[in-house]
Amino acid sequence: MLRGVRRGTAWAVLLSLTASLLAACGSGTEAGADLTTEKVTLRFTWWGADDRHKRTQQVIEMFQRKHPNITVKGEFKEWNGYWDSLATTMAANDAPDIMQMDELYIASYAERGALLDLNEAKKHLDTANFDQKALATGAIAGKQYGLPVGLGMYSIMVNLDLLAKYNIPVPDDTKWSWDDLRKIGEQVSKAGGGQVFGVQTPGINDAAGLSIRARQQGKAMFDADAKVVLPQEIARDYWQYILDLAKSGVAPPPSVSVEKASAGLNQSATATGTAAFGLWWNTQLTALTAASGAKLKLLRLPGETQGTSPGAYYKPSMFWSVSSRSKYPAESAAFVSFLANDDEAAKVLLTERGVPANQKIRESIAGQLKDTDKAAKEYLDTVPVSDPPRITPNGASTLDTILKRHTEDVLFGRTTPDAAAAAFIREVQSEVDAAR
Amino acid sequence: MSALDELRQLRRGGVQVRKSDNRAAFWFLAPWFAGLLLVTIGPVVASFALGFTKYNLIQPPKFIGFDNFARVLSDSRLHNALRVTFTYVLVSVPLQLACALGVALLLNRGLRGLAFYRSAFYLPSLLGSSVAIAVLWTQVFGTDGLVNRLLGFFGVEGRGWISDPDTALSTLIVLNVWTFGSPMIIFLAGLRQVPEVYYEAAAIDGASRWAQFRRITLPLLSPILFFNLVLQIIHAFQSFTQAFVVSGGTGGPSDSTMFYTLYLYQQGFSRFDMGYASALAWFLLLIIAAFTAINFWAAKYWVFYDD
Repeated sequence: MLRGVRRGTAWAVLLSLTASLLAACGSGTEAGADLTTEKVTLRFTWWGADDRHKRTQQVIEMFQRKHPNITVKGEFKEWNGYWDSLATTMAANDAPDIMQMDELYIASYAERGALLDLNEAKKHLDTANFDQKALATGAIAGKQYGLPVGLGMYSIMVNLDLLAKYNIPVPDDTKWSWDDLRKIGEQVSKAGGGQVFGVQTPGINDAAGLSIRARQQGKAMFDADAKVVLPQEIARDYWQYILDLAKSGVAPPPSVSVEKASAGLNQSATATGTAAFGLWWNTQLTALTAASGAKLKLLRLPGETQGTSPGAYYKPSMFWSVSSRSKYPAESAAFVSFLANDDEAAKVLLTERGVPANQKIRESIAGQLKDTDKAAKEYLDTVPVSDPPRITPNGASTLDTILKRHTEDVLFGRTTPDAAAAAFIREVQSEVDAAR
Repeated sequence: MSALDELRQLRRGGVQVRKSDNRAAFWFLAPWFAGLLLVTIGPVVASFALGFTKYNLIQPPKFIGFDNFARVLSDSRLHNALRVTFTYVLVSVPLQLACALGVALLLNRGLRGLAFYRSAFYLPSLLGSSVAIAVLWTQVFGTDGLVNRLLGFFGVEGRGWISDPDTALSTLIVLNVWTFGSPMIIFLAGLRQVPEVYYEAAAIDGASRWAQFRRITLPLLSPILFFNLVLQIIHAFQSFTQAFVVSGGTGGPSDSTMFYTLYLYQQGFSRFDMGYASALAWFLLLIIAAFTAINFWAAKYWVFYDD
């Protein structure tokens, strides 16, 4: 009896192994060919939080109902684990067919030949409702390596409940400076009595903050040739500002800031209501409102009117990319097209991945948005911006972690802002050079 | 005939091993051989070759000679990683072994419920390098964690132990010391081997407990101490999970928990520089080999074999 059962199991295992081997040996399709009618499985991976997983899973099911022969297997992770695992699967020649890609990494993957030029799959991918400028953010040397999903903008998120509690008026954000932010933060910290602080420490998870500082003074992090052109004074002033915030008690003590910043969005000072002001993407308003349970409002960045040009810009919040080694590029492109263009899918996804870059979709979902999503869209529609910076060059995808380390060095007094600025510039340049 | 007798006879050449037995043994071992070749030896050989190349995981590797090995000398972040790793190994291993020996001595005194205590102390070493425990550690040593609550109870103001570069490494050292269970079990087995008559004779001669420990227990236990030392040093050099989880994969704050293995991993999988990562892996092998060789050389002077 027992033996019979075991043998049965063994056969089942053997059969399923053979089946999966056969499936792996299937011929695959060409990017420009017709969609297959055979049964195929696509793997689709993204990073994000619970809310995103639920919505995305729903859209996957909608796609599968339309294409009964195509199964889409979702694989999702947190931001950090996502990139580690993507690199590993790439190396093992086992990359998912469809990937959620970020501005920070797209050049690194594309220039190494890991991504499909989506123009090859034009037949299945409809980009008619995308602005040319938006599409260009996902193109490198004329090849479309990513389709922008949504747009986001950097903003200051303010906790209105905290300001009301301490009787501090909401600042006028049309012409405030970084100094104004520090001063009002000081008032909050004083009133907060060590429990609530004015400003969430920047520079730990947000390299964009430094880039914004440079842009406000007409400078940039990188030039067109991927050379680091960030002036050392700007980086020094940036870290001096962060250090001053921490030293004067406007921001929480360094070790608290570092701990909260690495614990994810839900543990952040903004989400836990322990800091009144924080730098965030405008599209994170919904998630942060849900997490904090407080009334949050989007404010313009400080320093936008004191410098030579606004630092704010439309950042593609992420891209859809297809692996260059995908066996089913045509079907993958069709799925991306569904994600980007389908009305029903858009009603589920809404602005969770940013305000849609697809202009038709952006208008069609406008009526269904929650207040916070509406506020994010309105922010995007009204706040003045300048041209976006160049894509983070190949090799500089570790930019955020390099910045974080230097911020920590400054906060814990292991280096001076000036030395950190010099070391940062040198290190980023050597990373870009090493990838050549 | 018992298995032991059979083994003895085998050693003396008293038994003819049949060829068919050999064949059968080979087939039974075949899955293990296959695993060894594919999962261990293959990658080891490949990594040696990759150490001489520039390889970004996606494009084919490019031969660059000894550049990767030369970089080891000038890479200041690697030197920091080495400092962190050496501190970790040289502080945590002696502490861990001291705890293991101390508890083993206590348990060896014929406690009631020995089996329970033995398991209780052994448990952490099964869990110690797991992700779950590392996550627990971030909670225990966090700003609002258990340690700070305890300190608060005594009126001492705590801090974010893991998020402060001055204390982050210490929390990992504590974690490693806490997993003293496996060397403890080995010590316990060793203590059981020390003949009782030695102690009786020493007691009659008026030797104190401390003298008994120094003159009898320690020398007779020295081969076991040596074994544990070699094993735990190698083990500590290879630590990865704890630092990876506690620092969220960054080795931070300020590279203070940047273990050698974590740095190696980042080179390979965050910077896509698998060539350098491979070279680093071989360099680590050399370091561990050197430490082990020193250990074996020093053993001549302090390890006592009672043959």
